[in-house]
Amino acid sequence: MQNKKIISIVLGIMCFLLTLGIFVQIRTVNSTNTTVSQNYEENNLRADVLKYKERYENKYKDLEKAEAELEKERQDSTQNNTELEQKENEIKQGNKIIGLAEVTGPGVIITLSDSKRDASTALDISSLLVHDKDVLSVVNELKNAGAEAISVNDQRIVPTSSILCGGNIVNINGEKVGSPFVIKAIGLPEQLAGLERPGGYLYWLEEATIEVDVKKSNNITIPKYTGVISYEYAKSVE
Amino acid sequence: MNKNIKKGKITMTITIGIACFVLVAIMFMQFKIVNQTDITSIENMRETELRTELANWKSKYEETNQKYEETTSKIEEYKQTKESNEETEKLVDQELEQVNMLLGKTNVEGPGIEITIQEQENAETEGEIKAYNLLILVDALKAAGAEAISINEKRIINMSDIIDINGTYGSFIQVNGERVLAPYVIKAIGNQSYLESALIGNGGYVDELKTTGFDVKINKNDKIEINKYNGEIKTKYIQ
Repeated sequence: MQNKKIISIVLGIMCFLLTLGIFVQIRTVNSTNTTVSQNYEENNLRADVLKYKERYENKYKDLEKAEAELEKERQDSTQNNTELEQKENEIKQGNKIIGLAEVTGPGVIITLSDSKRDASTALDISSLLVHDKDVLSVVNELKNAGAEAISVNDQRIVPTSSILCGGNIVNINGEKVGSPFVIKAIGLPEQLAGLERPGGYLYWLEEATIEVDVKKSNNITIPKYTGVISYEYAKSVE
Repeated sequence: MNKNIKKGKITMTITIGIACFVLVAIMFMQFKIVNQTDITSIENMRETELRTELANWKSKYEETNQKYEETTSKIEEYKQTKESNEETEKLVDQELEQVNMLLGKTNVEGPGIEITIQEQENAETEGEIKAYNLLILVDALKAAGAEAISINEKRIINMSDIIDINGTYGSFIQVNGERVLAPYVIKAIGNQSYLESALIGNGGYVDELKTTGFDVKINKNDKIEINKYNGEIKTKYIQ
């Protein structure tokens, strides 16, 4: 009899805990997942976002085609004149430096990922994460080491690029990127890999148990900027 | 009698077993859903987030559309001027000018702001201004849409670096491989109110610098002149 009572109580507690767990879960799901949105306005907005995204993507494809055609047209028009041909080359080379054209070359691939260390054992949990400022500093050091083209998670760094914190993600070129951060840079591989030197920024990240991986490569491809750079306020003057 | 009790016990055990199994299964399903929920995906955005997202895609679309029209009209012009070298040269020069401007190889002018930062004269315990401070400031200006930036007349281009050089006799900041000294004057061309509001107010970097104890001034100017990059932009590795 005594035994039965104990079993019943234990079972009762177990059932109660399980049910409690389920309710907690359901509540979490409800508060994060608004797929079943009750809000008419939100649904409309969502449809608009998708519509504009699609329009942008289609337009961007058109633009890429037009740019390829323009390059061909420019080449055709300048090929019978050495002076013009040289200027045409300057345009091409300039676009590569700005980030408006895909480039290849030797360099390094640096991967930064959030620490795998148990967060409860850290004094400062924030130090276990890769921050916008870390990415910004690594990119700056790469430039110092002579990098000629850089991308972060395939977002090409152009003259107007900013690397900003957006909560638990990082905004680069207005696009959201997150850990692991894959930073590609083209330049002299030995020099770029020097970022790992003791006292360098990567060294301090490693000290903070951030996972840092540096790979040299002879053939890195860095994509072009997938946006438009147009100046509205600045005008060239003599 | 004995048999009955045994039977009842077995039934009970099985029932409880099934109940537990179902409960655990439901819990795992829930865990999976939570794990799969991607907070950056559009399905899970709230109204305000959706509005910024919409504005973002709209402006991207408009920019792209404008660039597309420019490009197609350039193609047409090239086609029309194919026969004349002189006319073609004009077009090529125009394009080259545009490229050089984005590279930072031209002097530029436009509305913008000028920020002056220096260490306070009678501050003893305050730290020095470091390259890192200027790096973040430049990043914030770019995020606010700055089109051209310079630090003490050193033009910031795509390959510019801002670093500390620590020497035996103290440290200094180097921009584009050249030494810069306080007071640091940062010029930026762009939308004045965007630039200013990105730096001041809650969480603005200029406010942070002031709190640290630096002397920071912002001046709006309708005609800021920024000089071109004073070196040669050389590349050796990109193809």
